[in-house]
Amino acid sequence: MIETIRVGHLLRETVAAPYRNLVTRPTGAAVRTRIEAALAASNCLTALLDFSGIELLDLSCADEIVAKLLLADADRPLRYVVLQGLREDQHEAIDHVLTHHRLVAAVLSGNGGPRLLGWASGDARAAFGCVCDRGQLSVIDLAIALGWSEERARDALDDLTRHRLLRAEGELYYPLPIT
Amino acid sequence: MTRVIEVPPHFDDRNFDQFAAGFGTWPPEEKILIDARGAQWASPYGLLGLITAGQALAEAKRERPLLTVPLNEDVKRYWVRAGFFRYAAELFELHGRVPKPLATGPSDVLLDVTPVRASEDVHSVVDKISQSASRILHGELGLELKATLRFSMALSEACQNIVEHAGTSGWVAVQAYTFRRRLGRRVVVIAVSDAGIGFLRSLESTHAKRFGERWGDGAALEAALIQGVSRFRDPGRGQGLAFIKRFLDQWRGKISIRSGTARLAIVPPWDEDVPLSEHLPFFPGAQVQIIIPAQDAEA
Repeated sequence: MIETIRVGHLLRETVAAPYRNLVTRPTGAAVRTRIEAALAASNCLTALLDFSGIELLDLSCADEIVAKLLLADADRPLRYVVLQGLREDQHEAIDHVLTHHRLVAAVLSGNGGPRLLGWASGDARAAFGCVCDRGQLSVIDLAIALGWSEERARDALDDLTRHRLLRAEGELYYPLPIT
Repeated sequence: MTRVIEVPPHFDDRNFDQFAAGFGTWPPEEKILIDARGAQWASPYGLLGLITAGQALAEAKRERPLLTVPLNEDVKRYWVRAGFFRYAAELFELHGRVPKPLATGPSDVLLDVTPVRASEDVHSVVDKISQSASRILHGELGLELKATLRFSMALSEACQNIVEHAGTSGWVAVQAYTFRRRLGRRVVVIAVSDAGIGFLRSLESTHAKRFGERWGDGAALEAALIQGVSRFRDPGRGQGLAFIKRFLDQWRGKISIRSGTARLAIVPPWDEDVPLSEHLPFFPGAQVQIIIPAQDAEA
């Protein structure tokens, strides 16, 4: 099950004003609290954080909302967090804070499949792209597709699974459940 | 006895130390008279310096200072348009006629002198500036459209430093003007100033030990601006100034921060400022200036 959380709606509820700019740490922390409450009340496997309608996202808010949500989520039962509706400058802000914390997140862009933002190795990015393009893969499938050793392919896939960017089931690795 | 402090005729970051020196030991014992009669021009940094001095004297529970307004009518009108007198009247006993504000169209004042007291003020500042920032940055300075959002981010982060670290309120102003002598181009200048505890005291408990004998205003500025540290143990803190620095580098912009007795600047090729100045006359709080120049055709 997928739960779409419209960050713009939560912002307007939080500040009780028609702001379209996600700025300041207290605002970010308040919006994150609402996201966490929505997720706690949901049994979704994937949470789609939708930023469309947001004008400006500053670093403080990117840190409070995205980075801290991912940090807290690492200790919780399996759930995938995917971002969507981001503009280019918002990509930059989120990429900056995720890299700072050595975190990584998947983002859905309007044209094309998911991509990674933040701290991810070249191998992880290549493996992620390959699984998104081809669908479910085994370690051997990935090794053949990218001309890698099995060990290298396994490391990349396990890394992505650990960061909740792929779903592992038996010997196979599946793209994020976003449809 | 009254101590008279003369406002330099062209008051900006370059002669701010002269103004700060006028106060002597801080906080001054004597009544203060700030004489702006001879002022011909003041940058947003200069205007906020005046306001901050008034705020710091009030917070130090000193007698209400006097301020003589500029004699030049154009200067007075510009200071009115920049919103200076609205707050100066609360902090100073003004001497001299202050013209009434006139309704005007788009001007070079992107953001009046605006108080920053809480997070809500940062929301208002960012909201208020978004349209005029696009007009000036993209329309006049030739920066790409997305620069407007980065500019607003820089403004937001700079203002939040007051709310998060100063321990008191502060001020922000944004203007566009032409740097005739230094650059020969249009620039947008963000000035942010507060009368708070300054970088030294803000970072002392968490970072002084690491610097040992080197610890001082200069080292505190270096820790914040160059090393991206913060007084908070939260590892997500301290990214704001690093982000501002990164984008200023891309735009060949300049940031300088003065706090206490030191000033640290990231100096672009077009400027001849020194990166670090120490042992300056003390001035309370922190004063930040961000300059974004018009991009040349090649860029």
